[in-house]
Amino acid sequence: MKIIKYPNLQETLYFEEMENGLKVYLLPKEGFSKTYGLFTTRFGSVDTTFVPLHEQEMIKVPDGIAHFLEHKMFEMEDGDASTKFARLGANTNAFTSSSRTAYLFSATSHEKECIELLLDFVQDIYLTDENIEKEKGIINQEIGMYDDDPDWRCYFGSIQNLYQKHPVKIDIAGTVETVSQIDKSTLEKCYHTFYHPSNMMLFVVGNIDSQEIMPFIRENQNAKTFEKANAIERMKVEEPLAIDKKEDVLYMDVTMPKMIVSLKINDIPINPQERLKRELSMNLLLDIFFAKSSSLYEEWMKEELINDSFSAQFTQERDYSFLQIGGDSLYPEKLKNKIQDFISHFAEYDFNEKDFLRLKKKTMGILISVFNSPESIANIFSRYYFEGIMIFDLIDCLNELTIEDLEQLRPLFDIQYASSFMILPQK
Amino acid sequence: MENIYQMSGYTLHLIPTKKFKTITISLRLQSPLLKETTTIRTLLTFVLIAATKKYPSTKQLAAYLDENYGASLSTHVSTKGKSQIININTSFVNDKFLPTKENLLEKQLQLLNDLFYDPYIIQDAFDEVIVQLKKKELKEKLQANKDDKFSYSLDKLFEYMGRDQVLGIPSTGYENEIQDITASQLYQYLLKCIREDVKHVYVVGDFQENIVEIFQENLQFPQNQQNYLSSYTFESPRAEVLEVIEKQDITQSKLNLGYTIDCDFTSKNHYAFTVFNALFGGFSQSRLFQVVREQNSLCYYISSSYDAFNGVMLVNAGIEAQDYQKTLNLIEQQLSDLKNGHIQDEEIAIAKMMLKNALKKTNDEASSMIALAYNRDITGIHETNEEYIEKLMNVTLEEIVQVAQNVKLDTIYFLTGKEFHENY
Repeated sequence: MKIIKYPNLQETLYFEEMENGLKVYLLPKEGFSKTYGLFTTRFGSVDTTFVPLHEQEMIKVPDGIAHFLEHKMFEMEDGDASTKFARLGANTNAFTSSSRTAYLFSATSHEKECIELLLDFVQDIYLTDENIEKEKGIINQEIGMYDDDPDWRCYFGSIQNLYQKHPVKIDIAGTVETVSQIDKSTLEKCYHTFYHPSNMMLFVVGNIDSQEIMPFIRENQNAKTFEKANAIERMKVEEPLAIDKKEDVLYMDVTMPKMIVSLKINDIPINPQERLKRELSMNLLLDIFFAKSSSLYEEWMKEELINDSFSAQFTQERDYSFLQIGGDSLYPEKLKNKIQDFISHFAEYDFNEKDFLRLKKKTMGILISVFNSPESIANIFSRYYFEGIMIFDLIDCLNELTIEDLEQLRPLFDIQYASSFMILPQK
Repeated sequence: MENIYQMSGYTLHLIPTKKFKTITISLRLQSPLLKETTTIRTLLTFVLIAATKKYPSTKQLAAYLDENYGASLSTHVSTKGKSQIININTSFVNDKFLPTKENLLEKQLQLLNDLFYDPYIIQDAFDEVIVQLKKKELKEKLQANKDDKFSYSLDKLFEYMGRDQVLGIPSTGYENEIQDITASQLYQYLLKCIREDVKHVYVVGDFQENIVEIFQENLQFPQNQQNYLSSYTFESPRAEVLEVIEKQDITQSKLNLGYTIDCDFTSKNHYAFTVFNALFGGFSQSRLFQVVREQNSLCYYISSSYDAFNGVMLVNAGIEAQDYQKTLNLIEQQLSDLKNGHIQDEEIAIAKMMLKNALKKTNDEASSMIALAYNRDITGIHETNEEYIEKLMNVTLEEIVQVAQNVKLDTIYFLTGKEFHENY
């Protein structure tokens, strides 16, 4: 077991790689009642074309299958995992993102049993044709819920506009149509390929003793047998540089229009440290121009183009990256022009050391606050982990950033890669 | 572990703990929830934190907060039964995690003080430009809320169920009243809040021993002897169930049910009702989720919630239009099952475990520690979390059946698609 200390944050992290390849991290938090465990596989909605374990040929699986599998994992041969957690007084849940599927529990007692149950239910699969059919009704209602959510439609629509081929444009839950194609044997193929311990990571944070828990996990893992792992071969996405659609409008039964300008970023760093630097510097740059303390925010507020819902976000995962700027607006067309104008003329927009230092301080405070909550530590740790980054490095990396690092981002603001998506009230 | 001090015009509650990297301060102002003041009170929460005399624009105030390592400052209104609460929250990094000593506690406290005593006022009125902007912001926020069909349908349920009663008054105000409020009325209303609202201040974190003196020096309000009602039991004027069906162009229908329960936060049977709700629909192990979702695949979400301060219970679910009657029947069947005492011991044990777990977890979040303490402080209930848990654990099957028998469906609000017809 490796011990890593972070004196500035007063945190200690424990790490061990199990013989079967599973990575385990433990972060004891003194004084907390709660223990939170997060068991994550690098399998998300974008993983739709790959070579299944011990096969030779690429297969294409129905969209939404990672999410469907997430729903079905809770079923165990002798009952439902949620009920078993409940008997231990714990909650359980799961979520699927474009690049990961994560299972979690949150408990205030029976920590060991919960960790064991989390490992056991995810490391075994029990499917029946009947149960798969039954789940389709539930998932279709989940899809219907998102269909009616204008914020989600705008957010997702602005991503879909950017990509011609990349599966990030596929809705995480798939569609009613693709969900209907999902069957037992395809689910099992996905499971055996992506839920191998070597493709997974367990993070436990809270009221735990690492000296007791780590051997306990080791024992649990040593008692199980897995097929030999081989490197997972995913289809490399040949995404063209150009965006898919310059603009799109969706009419819904709403009163408040919404608008997002999205910008595709094709030049993505490979090295994890470079990726982290890119992310932190881009977020600082967006803050400088679009946070509440910025001149543009004030100006656009006064012109009634934006309100509190306005935001500028940067996303960077695996092999895709983009910006999204926008929010609710009574004048979505005007706001769109302003933002696109900003992108076109970004070379003329200056920023100074004073703004940079101020927002660096703000970011520092926010990063420290993350360590208040076991949930946010676990979620953020896992998200960065699969990008090859340790969250404890974030603060050091932020300290090292210079204003020149931000200057280097200028070429990414290229208007030919910008798109817009609007939600407008039906006439 | 909570220390209470009677200060000038407010009660200070200190909750010391070393587990957080930040210090959280929450200031809560209580006044009666009235039709006449709900809108101005909501608008005030927007204007109050937009600027101060020292930082006379949102931009400058935001820059000041950035400088203080991203200290947060936020407000929102909420209701506690017959009371409307203004919540003003700030949280900031504890100095011990920063490279230099910043005295963030004093700075933020000074800022809170300035919100009340040094606001950006011109001739006895808030700045006109800011007020206009904030009016627009509030209006747009109310509109966006309406577009969120889940919260819209819930608001509608309250509106119909609580018509002409306090339950029907929206905590965030009426959209059509916003425009007429003037900048000087708003300032007068602030002065009234300073004089008449009942105030509690909560501090959670690892602070120094002289914190009470720091508060004494930096924050004072006029003495005030008011005492406002909060928790009450909703009583319906109806004998028959009110059924309201609205059609919009949507994919998923939203079913909302309101029940009278003859119980509230201060009732003797509050504990039994809390366990009943956990059995019926409070968790994913509860009857509603297990039967309507897991066994019948009719929905993705369904739950019941106990609004203890209004003394009502709600059920929400997202379903297909055609499953309306079927879902209603299943919910009704589960309720009558519980009324008839068809409950297994294990179910009760699980419901209690879930409640215990949820309550113990509140100790790990500053905001929930404050929320629980505040509920007790405004109702005058003296009880620790542990005592509360103990009482829940002691609830018996008979008590659950007894509270179940008082549950009565009062109002149905169904937001559905254009294709809905009566035979569903």
